[in-house]
Amino acid sequence: MSDVQAQTPQPTEPQHKLTKKERHSAILRYMFMGVNNFNYETQQGPSVVWSFSKVLRKIYPNDDDYVAALDNHFKYFNTTTAMGGMILGATLAMEEHDGIKSKDAVQALKTSLMGPFAGVGDTIIWILLPTIMGSIAGYMALQGNPLGAIIWLIVDMLLFWARIKLFDIGYDSGVKLVTTMANQLSAFTEAASVMGITVVGTLIATVVKVYTPLQFQFGKVKLAMQTGVLDKIMPALLPALVAWMVYKLLGSKKWTPNRVIVLILVIALVGSFFGILGVQPTK
Amino acid sequence: MPYILQDILIIILASYATIDNQGITIMNYWPVTVGLFAGLIMGDLPTAMTIAGTFQLMSLGVAGLGGASVPDYGLATIVGIYLSARTGAGLGTAVAVGLPVGLLTIQLDVLIKIANNFIAHRAQAYAHAKEFNKMRLVNWIGPLFFALKNFIPMILIVTVGPSAISALLKVIPEWLTNGLTIAGSMLPVVGIGMLMHYMPLKKYIWVLMIGFVMSAYLNVPILGVAIIGLALAIYTYQNLINASKKNAVATANGADAADTEEEGDDYDE
Repeated sequence: MSDVQAQTPQPTEPQHKLTKKERHSAILRYMFMGVNNFNYETQQGPSVVWSFSKVLRKIYPNDDDYVAALDNHFKYFNTTTAMGGMILGATLAMEEHDGIKSKDAVQALKTSLMGPFAGVGDTIIWILLPTIMGSIAGYMALQGNPLGAIIWLIVDMLLFWARIKLFDIGYDSGVKLVTTMANQLSAFTEAASVMGITVVGTLIATVVKVYTPLQFQFGKVKLAMQTGVLDKIMPALLPALVAWMVYKLLGSKKWTPNRVIVLILVIALVGSFFGILGVQPTK
Repeated sequence: MPYILQDILIIILASYATIDNQGITIMNYWPVTVGLFAGLIMGDLPTAMTIAGTFQLMSLGVAGLGGASVPDYGLATIVGIYLSARTGAGLGTAVAVGLPVGLLTIQLDVLIKIANNFIAHRAQAYAHAKEFNKMRLVNWIGPLFFALKNFIPMILIVTVGPSAISALLKVIPEWLTNGLTIAGSMLPVVGIGMLMHYMPLKKYIWVLMIGFVMSAYLNVPILGVAIIGLALAIYTYQNLINASKKNAVATANGADAADTEEEGDDYDE
């Protein structure tokens, strides 16, 4: 495997059956299809086949080799599509260099890397970025301000460029870099999670709003439950309690996110009907 | 813009958004980004952004990872913005109508992913028969299905939605709209709960506390907290890399490296 890494960086012509344009059309096809033909059995398998069918045809002019290669890619594959390009870049280089002999190595690489790559990719692309951008852009939007949304679109365009770049890195440096990276990825994922958890702590205090308009009457003295009692104990006390409750519920198999959403709808409606919960007055 | 043109554009937006989200992700499917386009189409950007912002905060942390189906907050946003522009309904109603639509389309999502299984087998059969063009063509059905997932509900919303909502608004009691607004401000907790399960919370509960105190007591804006989070992340990364280096050295020397391994362990669960 390592001689792939040693030989691919030099653009010696016989090695490269594919032009840069052809390779980029493959990654663009993969970026377009992504999980748009996702199925429960082989997940992104058909998407990889659809995206790489044209470049693979060029590598395998022989029909039987081509079908064998396609079958290899029809198998189960699932990772964050943004990171998947890097794996597929590396496997494409292997197939270009070694042909159908590389079949098993290609499958092994895909299977062993999709997990760690999904770990870091999902954390960054689908958790960290939407959490931070979402709360910034979301609060701006509440005031009717589209600036946050526009910044997000720009970030998406940078990501578009980065995904092509990752594919190129995977293709150029081949198997070795991608494999050593996988070891550092777990440290990177954990560090990214630390940043995520910090933001989660903030979200509990700021985004979740639970407000009670209840009031106690002691003779002539009125005591508002929210400002007089709860806020004195701890700011954002009710949101913290609700967050803890939901966290525990989601930990049990019976409570899917959708059930929890329905439960909260019911609590909010019942609470509103009896006047236990209210709309938080804006400060 | 004439009504009919707005109707057509909003349906195209909804149908395209889901394909974009699952593939190229330029516009993506975030409430604020689709809300931006929906607002431009409907001609009332500030109101659209308010609705989009509400759904955006509601959806924080809700991620469809590993093929999981989650509420369709993007579609909910488009529906809410459309109906609010057509009927003049307020934020509470926009949320109250949009959210159920977003919840209902999850069922379609599951159906499509099952149907795609047949397409995958069809495509592989074409490959074996060496009909490679057909193999590629049949794969277009997947994105087509996903576009239909939003196309069908949007057709219903556009044709019967406004009059149904106007009729509903006259009979809906105040406690109900209030209750839905309360639910809207509580619902972000679901995504937050999911986030806490995705991440190694037990090991890093102290980080959660720092974030909480920063906002609840000190009112630091979110970007400020994110920077503190980044600082903690850098610190953690360096520690982990150092630990793994020591670990590697220890293993090379034949020493027992058990306790550094233990540290990394509980992340995987």
